[in-house]
Amino acid sequence: MEARVTGYFSEIWRLRHFWLALVRIDLRNRYRRSMIGIGWSLLHPIAMTVVLCVVFSRLFGQDVRTFAPFLLTGLTLWGFITAVVMQGCQCFFQGESYIRQQPAPLAIYPLRTTLGAGFHFLLGLGIAAVLVWCVNGFGNLPALLSLVPTFALLFVVGWSLAICAGLVNVMFQDSQHLIEVLMQVLFYVTPIIYRPEMLLKRNLMSWFVRLNPFAALLELIRQPLLEGTLPSSWAVGVGLLTGFVMVAVAALALRCFEKRIIFYL
Amino acid sequence: MNVIQLDDVGLRFQVRRFGRVSLKEYLLHGLFRRSKKATFEVQALENINLAVGEGNRLGIIGHNGAGKSTLLKLLAGVYPPTSGRRQVSGRVSSLFEIALGFEHDASGWENISYRGYLQGETPRSIRSKMRDIAEFSELGDFLNMPIRYYSSGMMVRLAFSIATAIEPEILVVDEVLSAGDMAFQAKARQRMRELMSIARAVIVVSHDLPTLALMCDQVLWLDHGHVRQIGPAQEMIDAYKREMSGAPQLHAA
Repeated sequence: MEARVTGYFSEIWRLRHFWLALVRIDLRNRYRRSMIGIGWSLLHPIAMTVVLCVVFSRLFGQDVRTFAPFLLTGLTLWGFITAVVMQGCQCFFQGESYIRQQPAPLAIYPLRTTLGAGFHFLLGLGIAAVLVWCVNGFGNLPALLSLVPTFALLFVVGWSLAICAGLVNVMFQDSQHLIEVLMQVLFYVTPIIYRPEMLLKRNLMSWFVRLNPFAALLELIRQPLLEGTLPSSWAVGVGLLTGFVMVAVAALALRCFEKRIIFYL
Repeated sequence: MNVIQLDDVGLRFQVRRFGRVSLKEYLLHGLFRRSKKATFEVQALENINLAVGEGNRLGIIGHNGAGKSTLLKLLAGVYPPTSGRRQVSGRVSSLFEIALGFEHDASGWENISYRGYLQGETPRSIRSKMRDIAEFSELGDFLNMPIRYYSSGMMVRLAFSIATAIEPEILVVDEVLSAGDMAFQAKARQRMRELMSIARAVIVVSHDLPTLALMCDQVLWLDHGHVRQIGPAQEMIDAYKREMSGAPQLHAA
């Protein structure tokens, strides 16, 4: 068992030039070798932030200076989650011609998706960080360092999500639409565009936040970046638990379908 | 020791009657129409026993749909056997469905490195082969163009040049000899002969019987997923020809 896992990862590592090249070409196609391209693809979270800021500051009297970075970090993380899930749905079809040509570990195709989305996420987060530093000055360094393990956690969760989404979508081709609806629902029950306290105040609704893995991931990002404090033990606990569960599910799914996927493509 | 060994290998495909299954259909069938199955099974290969030793050159012949390409893909590791055992000791280099596996938005040069990486090359090792590959493909300045604009003949040239640039241990080939225009075919044939002489073992599928007789020492005759006969190349080819020229007969599946 252990030897099989190590063998699998060493095979992925051996093919690193291959999937890195694929990630590079994905990014290049996306950004079209220009700065405008980068701005173009960040337009969505920024435009959303501007619109929501205007609305929320008028309606609920939110302070724009704190609310804008709050929104931007939330939307950027959510952008990453939706990207790994929705693009993950397509990852095996995207790699179909390679899968038919040469046996290679299947996990490299979701990995391609995750790395592309991850790069984009870091760009968005960088902008949010600059925004925060312009308003509040440079944050608390130890708290910021806690982002490093968070990124690792996000990478693992993202990769696992992409694997699961990809496998499900190969087995049932219409699951992509169901997943899309599900993601829309999750967007509203997760404190992305509103503050978690708004739900935590209500007894019943508070569980949407407390048990929501995405709410925990959000706090892991926001707390150090926006407040300059270490994330709460609740966020760390739920975040780690999410990581373990997702990895277990993805590993199990791969074990079942690694050899069979070729028959369903 | 054998380089390739198949023990009683079978491969069974699940074929969907209506293309890909959707979750909605799956649930509906499960709930209401339990009796009617959305899939049926096809036994593509059955009871295949095969041993290819060091230095062997094995040809595979048979009608269309006899399972030749499927058997090659099974040997290359793309399809896992659904029954029996497959043992391969060594790295398999495969040449089939040759135009598959390109990034259409990338240039010819870039695709050379991608395909190379997939075959296990590193940036350093592929760099030294780039020139040879480009030269052999004769594509010249077209290599700077995205693959999207290539004709199918150009793609075949490129794919063949990349796939044959590595030194193969076990070479698995599917009728690529008919690739490209006349001039390229002659070149490709020459290159194939060179590769076959260095590879530890070669398995080739072709309808070109005279060439097979020249290239191979053994031939496997595949018929409806079964091994009809296996033996010395010329003998098998003669037997196959005799049947082909005889009265057209339908085989019971």
